[in-house]
Amino acid sequence: MTITELITVILLVVGCFFFLAGTLGVLRFPDLFSRLHALTKADNLGLGFIAAGIALHIASPWSALKIFFIWLFTLLASSTSCYLIAKFQREQHKPQNGKEQE
Amino acid sequence: MSVLIDIILAILAIYLALQSLLAPRLSQSVFLFFAFGLALALAWIRLGAVDVAITEAAIAAGFLGALFLDALRDFSVSDTEKQENTKADQSLVSAKNTNSPWLPKLALGLGLGLFLLISLEAVWEIPSGGGLTELAEAMLPASGVEHPVTAVLLNYRAYDTWLEIGVILMGLLAIFAVGGRELYRKPVMAVQDPLLRQVILFFTPVLFLFGAFLLYVGKTGPGGAFQAAVLWGAIGILLHLGGWPVFAVIPRWLRQLLLTAGLGFFLLLGFLFIAGGNALFEYPPAYAGFLILIVETLAAISIAAALTAIFANLNQMKETPNETETTT
Repeated sequence: MTITELITVILLVVGCFFFLAGTLGVLRFPDLFSRLHALTKADNLGLGFIAAGIALHIASPWSALKIFFIWLFTLLASSTSCYLIAKFQREQHKPQNGKEQE
Repeated sequence: MSVLIDIILAILAIYLALQSLLAPRLSQSVFLFFAFGLALALAWIRLGAVDVAITEAAIAAGFLGALFLDALRDFSVSDTEKQENTKADQSLVSAKNTNSPWLPKLALGLGLGLFLLISLEAVWEIPSGGGLTELAEAMLPASGVEHPVTAVLLNYRAYDTWLEIGVILMGLLAIFAVGGRELYRKPVMAVQDPLLRQVILFFTPVLFLFGAFLLYVGKTGPGGAFQAAVLWGAIGILLHLGGWPVFAVIPRWLRQLLLTAGLGFFLLLGFLFIAGGNALFEYPPAYAGFLILIVETLAAISIAAALTAIFANLNQMKETPNETETTT
């Protein structure tokens, strides 16, 4: 096993760990906001590490650039949808909270 | 090792399909269906059919996903209107299931068993090798493209593809027929969210470019009109959701032209060949590549327009409260 393969394996394992942790968070966290937090962490870090590992494994600069763009677009889309869901939830429950506080 | 992956994937696909049918809540069914579509796309990749995988992922997880989520929102709205909030969790499906007598279940079970038997029989009798693969590969130089899938879709079996474009247009016509004539008139409430606007504006050219890439790369590799069309349709849907109703802005004749250009040009081309003494959709080999590229481009534009129009219509119908009451 060369040093490149070793780094690839380490990166993939770390990426899988973040996905696992994110899944656990979605299943176990109590409310929507913390679940979203867990989910976007999995998207950012998990996919980031896996993309880095695969890019290293393919070892072609052109493919690595494409993989980097995949990660970038997923990052943009997931963080935007996370923001939208959180905003929607907050607006839905705003009047209720206001009543409860009064 | 790879057999193990295939087996796990097969079990996962069947499990997700069953769960998506049996899930007690409608939202669960919808999300399990997304997962099922992605598992199917992975299975297509394992089978070496990357074209189908892209289409499956784009249609099942992308376009159908948007339609399903939209329908889900309608259902949840009508649920909360009709019932109390405590009963909102119970979906219509579960309510039907608990009340249904045993006869439909028995019929369903028998039908499923029969279907499984037939499909097992079909798998058993797959001829080993052969088929039309060699013939398709041999005729590739005369087809005008270098990718066998595209050659089959747009040259050898162009009639089928033409009908498929027609099917999508028919779907849109059915929605027009059900939805009445109120459509496109009201502008959708503009979303006053700066972040969403910026992200949509950023993704619009990216999606357009990627669609064009898929369209052009269909000549030599996996890709083509349908895959490109879904991406271009996604632009329309995104713009519609972001508060720019594309179809409300452009004039009626242009909308109709966009919707029918692919089908019409394809058919015109076929008739021109007949007039020239060839068979329907029999391209002259010298121009085949060029003609296929034009047909694919127009077909992609038409399909994208049809997909956008389908989503826009369905999304618009519930905004008039009278109509939602009559349809649900």
